[in-house]
Amino acid sequence: MIKYSTNELMAVTASRLLEDHQNIVVGLGLPQIATILAQNTHAPNLNIIYEIGVVNPASVDMGVGIADSRLWYQADYFTSFVGTLGGLLQKGLVDVGFLGGLQVDQFGNLNSTLIQTGNGIRHFTGSGGAGDIATYSKNIFVIMRHEKRKIVNMVDYITSVGYYQGKTSRQDIGLPQCSSVIIITNLCVFSFSKEDKKIQIDSIHPGVSLEQIKENTGASFLIPAKPRVTEEPSKVEIELLENQIDPEHQYI
Amino acid sequence: MSNKVIELTEAVREIPQDGAEIALGGFAITRNPIAFVNEMIRQKKKNITLYEIIGSMDADLLVGANCVNTFIYSGGSLDRFGRLGRVNEAIERNTMKVEEYSGLSISLRFLAGSLGIPFVPTKTLLGTDMLTNLINKRNNAVKVMNSPFLKDDQVVVLKAINPEFAIIHAQIADEKGNIIIEGPKWDIELALSAKKLFVTVEQIVSNKYIKKYPEKVSIPSISTYRVIEVPYGAFPTSVYHCYDYYSNLIKEYARVNGDAVQFNEFLQKYILNLKDHSDFLLKTCTLDELLHLKVDPEYGYPAELGGKQDD
Repeated sequence: MIKYSTNELMAVTASRLLEDHQNIVVGLGLPQIATILAQNTHAPNLNIIYEIGVVNPASVDMGVGIADSRLWYQADYFTSFVGTLGGLLQKGLVDVGFLGGLQVDQFGNLNSTLIQTGNGIRHFTGSGGAGDIATYSKNIFVIMRHEKRKIVNMVDYITSVGYYQGKTSRQDIGLPQCSSVIIITNLCVFSFSKEDKKIQIDSIHPGVSLEQIKENTGASFLIPAKPRVTEEPSKVEIELLENQIDPEHQYI
Repeated sequence: MSNKVIELTEAVREIPQDGAEIALGGFAITRNPIAFVNEMIRQKKKNITLYEIIGSMDADLLVGANCVNTFIYSGGSLDRFGRLGRVNEAIERNTMKVEEYSGLSISLRFLAGSLGIPFVPTKTLLGTDMLTNLINKRNNAVKVMNSPFLKDDQVVVLKAINPEFAIIHAQIADEKGNIIIEGPKWDIELALSAKKLFVTVEQIVSNKYIKKYPEKVSIPSISTYRVIEVPYGAFPTSVYHCYDYYSNLIKEYARVNGDAVQFNEFLQKYILNLKDHSDFLLKTCTLDELLHLKVDPEYGYPAELGGKQDD
């Protein structure tokens, strides 16, 4: 049995979903770690895009965000927002967009803007490129903590559209199709049902019970007859993460 | 040869005291035109209509100093240092008008402005609450309509922005206003869309130098209105190839910007009570610390610090 942390499991799970030669829009943290892990294992030819205008960096130091030049080191190309989110993303060249947020709902819509409280709203980061990434990426991968207030039936604000109101509603309002929305939490992986586009358990992390997921989820979700168990990381993956990719354990 | 070089205080005096329309070029904690913004705060500009693609420290300072009437942006933060506390509170308490876009949609409005086209169609924003709110506020810059080319195909139409002023910070310009931006150039369409572009730069170089490397010029002199030389003009935010962000001050700022009283103390101490940007540098860090921010040219940041600065 190999020892690993939950964050490592989440990074490995995301990494394995990436395929070689894909173009990925990435943010700081676990998405970045997952992408670098994939580059070092099964997908050496991934292309990394940061919305600020950076393509294919090969960072050797962690930074505080995509505005940190540590994340721009050895890039292939510098451009503008229009260059990344327009020329690459909007043109349809992005296979995977990684997103996070304050809330996600039963149809995969994401909120990174505001929370309704009894006392009015609390305003947070807002969209940045998130809304655009959800509009145009062929696959939307979400990494977030599994909490009742974060996985809900209806988000307080739609910053980024997943399957909108389910079924074909996303295309019906004029948005491009998306092939998948995957949510990776610290308890499980969620995907969306084929027809209704409703949130469903895809796999449950080792050692986690269905009860635990039910207790910590604010949205109703579909449960397959025999839920899969999320595959555990390999020794190679954990060694790469701990010795090479995030040796200071900032994110794993 | 036209010389567009001007002193900072003089340049800021050219911005109207009341109701100016300004686009800022910062991104979170990098290349914010801090020196220019601090001087606007000292000169007590009021009722600004402020645009910024990604809200940053510069905008948060202006909002906190009560200079802003309307803020049009696509969200923002101080990266992992923290939130835009003054912007968020002004939105929560409804003390400032706000229009929120996505990064691409606001950038496309600047792109349209920079190209002199009246509007640009896109699919982004469809289905979002940004779109719902923009339409409900009747801001008259965003509409949903059927594509003129495809039956039953909905598009979002975004009106061009041509702000009265854009203010960006860059590494290099000559006296004519040929500007070299090194690193990613998220602010280029915004800069090119303005009626009057002010640029603060780390260094003014000769036109002869520019003519050696015209391929490096991001913005031609024709598009530039004023050039102001302000070394460390983006401090405490970073400038690629020049200096790193200064963690200590941004951390201090992120601790106080969630609270009006503490923010006002910060504002008095570091901006209002000081006479200029040199004074700001002297009061907020030591010479040793400033020298430590200098980048390793191979990396574009101070590589010996690795992933983090000393606390």
